[in-house]
Amino acid sequence: MEDQDDPVPVFGSWPRIYAAVIVSALVVMGLIAWFSAHRY
Amino acid sequence: MSSLDWAVLVVYLVGIAAFGLWAGRGNRRIDDFFLAGRQMRWWAVGLSVMATQISAITFIGTTGQAYTDGMRFLVVYFGLPFAMVILCLTVVPFFYRARVFTAYEYLERRFDARTRTLTSLLFLLSRGLSVGVTLYAPSLVLSVLLGWGEAETILLMGVSTIVYVIYGGNRSVIWTDVVQMGIIWFGIFVCLAVAIRQLPEGVGLRDALALAQLNGKLEVIDTAPSLTQPYTLWSGLIGGLFLMLAYFGCDQSQVQRYLSGSSLTQSRLSLLFNAFLKVPMQFLILLTGVLVFVFYHFHAPPLLWNRAELARLEREAPAAELAEIRTRFSAALQGRRESAARFLHGRDPQVAQAYFGHGRQLDEARKEAVRLLEHTRGEAGYGDANYIFPTYILTQLPSGLAGLVIAVIFAAAMSTLSGEFNSLATATMVDFYRRFVRSDGGDAHELLLSRVFTGFWGGFACLIALQAGRLGSAIEVVNRFGSYFYGSILGVFALAVLTARASARGAFYGLLIGMFSVWAVASSTKIHFLWYNVVGAVTVFVSGLVITAFWPQEEAAGPRELP
Repeated sequence: MEDQDDPVPVFGSWPRIYAAVIVSALVVMGLIAWFSAHRY
Repeated sequence: MSSLDWAVLVVYLVGIAAFGLWAGRGNRRIDDFFLAGRQMRWWAVGLSVMATQISAITFIGTTGQAYTDGMRFLVVYFGLPFAMVILCLTVVPFFYRARVFTAYEYLERRFDARTRTLTSLLFLLSRGLSVGVTLYAPSLVLSVLLGWGEAETILLMGVSTIVYVIYGGNRSVIWTDVVQMGIIWFGIFVCLAVAIRQLPEGVGLRDALALAQLNGKLEVIDTAPSLTQPYTLWSGLIGGLFLMLAYFGCDQSQVQRYLSGSSLTQSRLSLLFNAFLKVPMQFLILLTGVLVFVFYHFHAPPLLWNRAELARLEREAPAAELAEIRTRFSAALQGRRESAARFLHGRDPQVAQAYFGHGRQLDEARKEAVRLLEHTRGEAGYGDANYIFPTYILTQLPSGLAGLVIAVIFAAAMSTLSGEFNSLATATMVDFYRRFVRSDGGDAHELLLSRVFTGFWGGFACLIALQAGRLGSAIEVVNRFGSYFYGSILGVFALAVLTARASARGAFYGLLIGMFSVWAVASSTKIHFLWYNVVGAVTVFVSGLVITAFWPQEEAAGPRELP
């Protein structure tokens, strides 16, 4: 099966899924930085 | 362990071996055996990629590291999501469309046979020896804590993995990895839930985090612009990026997983799946270690975590000296427990100072115990961080759950071992036997030999693990040697896919120069190891291009393999 027969699920295209990965990575890092700095 | 724990562990071991044998039936050619017939879906490959990376020593070592050093180690994974995107855009399409079995096979098509042979040989040398350590390290910890023989633990873990990988090849590896990764995720949530539930009455999760924060255990982001300081944000983002590019892009144990995808889309999705989940997973594992640290504020930890060494200390050290250390240790524990409770009540900075005082006394008493142990056994270098989490599991988890989490440690070890046995056999078969000995052996002959090579590497790993106690420093040298060429091999792949101009000569000599430069940096500077891959990759890339420009090849390199 070639990749053009296999659609990109949920996100629909490769640029969108790559953007989602990068945004998600930045959000996760931001949350970790907040978790680390928050006063408990 | 209780009989229920034993039952859980036996069900896991028998069940996973039987499932591996069932899942791996139907291999007829080496495409089936090494690449699961190139029919796997992204989620199965993605879980297998994740399971191959998380070894038992990652699981127990990372929690131990969080206990002693906090969560700073998390930054090592910060480069991973970006690495996955870069790999999906670069090497994955090249590998997939070239229909190769190994990453190194691609290098012959792009450069020449010697570059392929050298990189594959480096992989076999380093991975072949490190797989012995992958087997030895958790076996040592489990044998000490469970009271089993070291050899029996190694053989139980090693042989049960070898059996299903020899029979089922990569299909067995991937499907057992899926189950093992499910068990590992379940185990992570169970450990977290139990650690939170076992906090004493009146101490909530927020209090536990406050205590961890007071000790600097929650510090993750360190923006110090230093090349020597471990685990800064920059070494994580840049050094971690290069480390992950090298591991997922050039290490056959990972490349082989995603080459099993049923399409390029499936292969790419398997890596992106890891890009989403890996950092949160490591966060949860480290958080578990931090909560275990808080737990031992309110429950007495042992003087030393390694039970066998503690027994030796009690047997051989002067009784009066040890009793004096124990008295100081207990008094410091009591003082720390009371001041911790008072601090949580009012968050008073003066109480925090008293708490730190007791903490220092506790550290001092423990250091004294370590000094006494080292003096008693006549050997320096005692470390026991890897024993902390398994001790917690065996002494604090309820019956049944302890067996489950020990099964998680077995699952983490076996999922890594299975992928490595399979990939070592693939490189041996494809890059050496088929390339230099016989390329027309037929399906039955090649399948039989692939199983023989799998058995050979499994047996070799067991042999190294059984001798590891004696090999000690030699293994450390080998591991260090591995870190010298990891980034350099990444540089060769960068030359292969990013430039049309680089010649075979540039790639080969660039690789040698890169390895030498990493060795020079490692032996003459204090630069942290996360930067070694950056040094190696950049040196190979630049020197490869310079050699290509100033020392032209008499024969043109083979045509570039376009995707």
